[in-house]
This record gives sequence, C-alpha cells and structure tokens, in this order.
Amino acid sequence: MEPTTTRSVISTRGLTKHYGTIPALSDLTLDVRQGEVFGFLGPNGAGKSTMIRTLLGFLHPTAGSATVLGMDMVGDSVEIRRLTGYLPGGIALYDSMTGAQVLDYLARLQGRTAYRRDELVERLQMPQADLRRRVRDYSRGMRQKIGVIQALQHDPELAILDEPTEGLDPLMQQAFYGILADLRAEGRTIFFSSHILSEVERVCDRVAIIRHGNLMAVHEVRELLARRRRKVSIQWRGAAPDATTIPGLADVVVDGDRLFATLHGDVSEFVRAVASPSLRDLTIEPASLEEAFLEYYAEDAVAPAGPSTAAEDEELA
Amino acid sequence: MSWPLFARTLAWQRTRWIIVSLALFGWGILIPVFYSAFSDVIRDLANSGAFPEELLSFGSGSLFSLPGAVTLGTQHPLAIAMLAVFAVGATSTAIAGERQRGTLEVLLARPLSRTSVYVSITLGLLLVIGVVLAALIAGFVTGAALQGVLDELPVEHLPMVFLNGFLLWGGIATFGLAASVTFDRAGPAIGLTLAYLILNYFFEILGSLWQEAEWTQEYSLFHHFNSTEILAGSVEPVDLLICGLAFVIPIIYALVVFPRRDLAAPA
Repeated sequence: MEPTTTRSVISTRGLTKHYGTIPALSDLTLDVRQGEVFGFLGPNGAGKSTMIRTLLGFLHPTAGSATVLGMDMVGDSVEIRRLTGYLPGGIALYDSMTGAQVLDYLARLQGRTAYRRDELVERLQMPQADLRRRVRDYSRGMRQKIGVIQALQHDPELAILDEPTEGLDPLMQQAFYGILADLRAEGRTIFFSSHILSEVERVCDRVAIIRHGNLMAVHEVRELLARRRRKVSIQWRGAAPDATTIPGLADVVVDGDRLFATLHGDVSEFVRAVASPSLRDLTIEPASLEEAFLEYYAEDAVAPAGPSTAAEDEELA
Repeated sequence: MSWPLFARTLAWQRTRWIIVSLALFGWGILIPVFYSAFSDVIRDLANSGAFPEELLSFGSGSLFSLPGAVTLGTQHPLAIAMLAVFAVGATSTAIAGERQRGTLEVLLARPLSRTSVYVSITLGLLLVIGVVLAALIAGFVTGAALQGVLDELPVEHLPMVFLNGFLLWGGIATFGLAASVTFDRAGPAIGLTLAYLILNYFFEILGSLWQEAEWTQEYSLFHHFNSTEILAGSVEPVDLLICGLAFVIPIIYALVVFPRRDLAAPA
C-alpha cells in the first residue's frame, strides 16, 4: 500500500458560498492529501454537496479560493474534470439508453479510455446481459453500480463520490470498499461524502465534519476513535469499589454490584486498575465514530474549526 | 464544441426528425395540389366580391399564386405545429430537461465547458431545424413538378426562402434554448417559448384578417418571412436583419447567462 503524501490534491482557502443571503459554506479551509481516502461527513443540508459542486465548477464561490490537482478551481475547471471522476448523489442516467451505451457515451465525453471498465463491471457483478438492458428498467442498485463505473472507468487521479453506497446491497458495498482500497493502494485520491458513519470509519484515512456549512473538525479516523469515550460496564463479586480510584471514568452510575460509566483515554490503564479477583464481568463497547459525530452535533454553540484546526490536523498526521 | 454531445443531440431527435421531415415533405407536396385544385375557385370568389380578399388569404399567403401558396404552406398552423416540435419542444427541454432529470450533472462532470455544451446542443438542433425546413421546401418543388406547375415556382429564389425561413425558425429555436438555460425545470421554458411563438403568430394572423390591426404584423417575426415577396425576387434586407437579430440575441444571452449560473443540486 502506497503511503499518502503531503501533497494536497484538494486545497481550499476560506471557501465560502452563499445562496443570496443564506450561507451554505462558510470560510472553509481544508487540505486533502494525495493517496488518501478522505471522508466528508455531515447530515443532509450540512453543505457537503455544495462543497463538491463548488469544487467541480457547478457553483461559483462567493469568496475564497481552491485548487484541485494543483489547478485553480475556477480557471482550470475543465482540465480538473478531465482528471476527476464524479459520482453525484442519487445519480440520474439517460433512461432511453442501455447501460453499455451510457458508459460508452460518458467515456467519449470524458475523452479518456475506459481502462478500468471491465474490471469494475466484473467486481460489481454487472453482467453483459444487464448492460444491454435499458437504464429505465434498472433497479436503484443497478443504477448506482453504473454510477460508480462511470465515475471510475477512466481511472481518474481524483474520485469525488457523493453518497456512493446508496442503493447498493451489503455484498456490493463490500465489493465497492475493495475497489476503494485498491485505488488507494495505487495512489489515487478519494474524496468521499457520506452520512453513513460505519463506512466512513471503515474506509477513510481522515475525516472532516461539517455542520451548517462550517468545518467543525478534521481528524485522522484512528485518532478520532482513540479519543472517543467508550461505554463500560463492570460487575464485581460484592459491592463495587470506589469509582474515583479508577482512572478515566465519568458519568458513573452504580447499581448494586454493577457499575456503568464512560471511559476516556487509555484503556490499558483502566484495565490494570479494575483487574482484581473480585471482578466478575467487564464489558467495553467499541469506540464508534457515531459517538464522535454526535458529539459535534450535540452542542449548538460549538465554534467552527478555522484554518488553525487544519494546521492542527497537519500535526496529527 | 463536443462532437459526442452534438451526435447525441442528433440521435436524441432521430425518430421525431424522420417523422416530422416526412410529414413536412408530404405537406409541401400537397400545397401545389391545393393551388392547382382551388386557385381558380378562390380567384372567382374574390372577383365576385362575395368575400373580402383578406378572408381568402391566410397571413401573408393565399392560393392566388403558387408563391402565395408556398407562403400559405409555411404559415399554416399545421406547418407551424410540425416545426414547433423542434423549435419549441426540443430546444426548450434541451438543457432545462437535462437539469430537471438530473442528467445535466453527469454531463457537466465531464471536461466540457458550459459554452461548449450550449454550442454543441444548439448546432445539433439548428441542423435538425434546417433539415426539416429543407424537407418542406423540397416538398413544394416536388409537388409543383408533379402538378406540372414548376414553371410558376422560381426555384432560383428558393435558397433565399430557406435562409429567411431558417433565420425565423432558428430565432424561435435560439429563444427556446435561451429559456432552457435560464430555468431549472422544462415547464417554464416550454411555456415561455410557446408564448413567444403564439404571440408572434397571433400578431401576424390578426393583422392579416383585420385591417385596423394591420400594424401588429410589423411586430411579428412571421411577417418578416414572406416567401411570396422573396420568390418574386424582392428580398427585403430589413426582414433578414430582424430575423437575424432575433436569431443572434438569444444566443448572446445564453452564452453570457449559462456559464454564470449556479447549478445547485437537483431537488
């Protein structure tokens, strides 16, 4: 697996987009490095699609600037799109064409050979018979497969995928994750917008959290998970000991011989502290990105992450 | 200019293109047939004074002469409806329809500037309009030959009839495309273009039927496409200028507006 480099494939500086007086993106400063899978997280209406559409030239920024693959987002938009693969959220296709005709047509418009099509067709289990059917007869999942194939068939340097697994069954989701892993191993960069936290947790190297058009945080996924609070449940033989002697516990609730709490910080220190012959049962729930995510969305008055957060993130790397 | 998009625009219209071309060709053949069959009757009616001459004409056309019949053929509601299939229907849905369906997003994710998208679609649709208009004129010539009245049709002026007709219908088409780049949904674009066509047509017909309202014809593009005068060898440069402006101004508008529009995610 090729390591990610520090070269930015997407770099935004103070990117702002207003619809009239309504802010959709506010002063967004962000760097996506070459060779990483970057998750862009946020609920519907947070500004994920606005960000993507601005990067691809569908929307004109109100303020700020951005480069994609080292090129200016506004002035070099056509060249950027030549080297980029894009899967729109809830993709619409030409219903009167067959799947194969759609892929051929979009490849011709792209002006690049569809090197990867056969491989993608095989991995996403899209039989030739299905490719010969008209798109209007396709199920939601089949349309999504065509969407994935059209975005990646020309082997783009950067793939921008908006909710890519929407409509795919679990088996196809696994196949898709495998494709992403291979692309990453080949040094391709993937910008991945989603609100499905489990898949972001699974496939992304770093994640940005966006809320009301503001960048709340940018973190390494593993760092984020390491910081998360875990739910713990401990049962003793006899009465529970004084919880204040156990490091990292908060929100402690004691119920007879059971103790429920949240755990911060190092798990090994905690395990050492509770290990004793009187310990009957110990449950530590795995840290979930969902917990982290909800934390960012739980508080209304959280200050957005500015450029300093992006800089801080560089340190994390 | 994107050749794949140009080719796709032509292919998208293929079936309608063939049907409408054949229908207009057939209509063109019928006009000299009507002229041969009814011109004497119409002339007698006019001479008898039983009907005012205005009521025996339609727009700028009539059955008093073959060139007049050709004008009638181009201004008849049947011909208007057939040409509007492309000049209104296809143009106004060309971009707004893609936007409404969500396929414009897939298209614009390719390395195409919006100017290139607009130019490719516009050239494709103008070519279609040129072909169906040529089919209509070919029908006039064929019908005149079949009726043995070809000597009454000055064919050397037909290229100018085609040019003037192309500027008129091209002007309605470019208006439709301008509406199409303006709206996110096809409905308003179709409505606006249809209203533009109907208003122009109404002014022309109203002025031809009612002398008091003759002045309204000056404001109709249809009045500036008079095959009778062109076939008589008298081309009015101002007619070409007005139709030419109606052709070019929407193109300039679209080239300015479309690249500057924000295309938010489809609802």
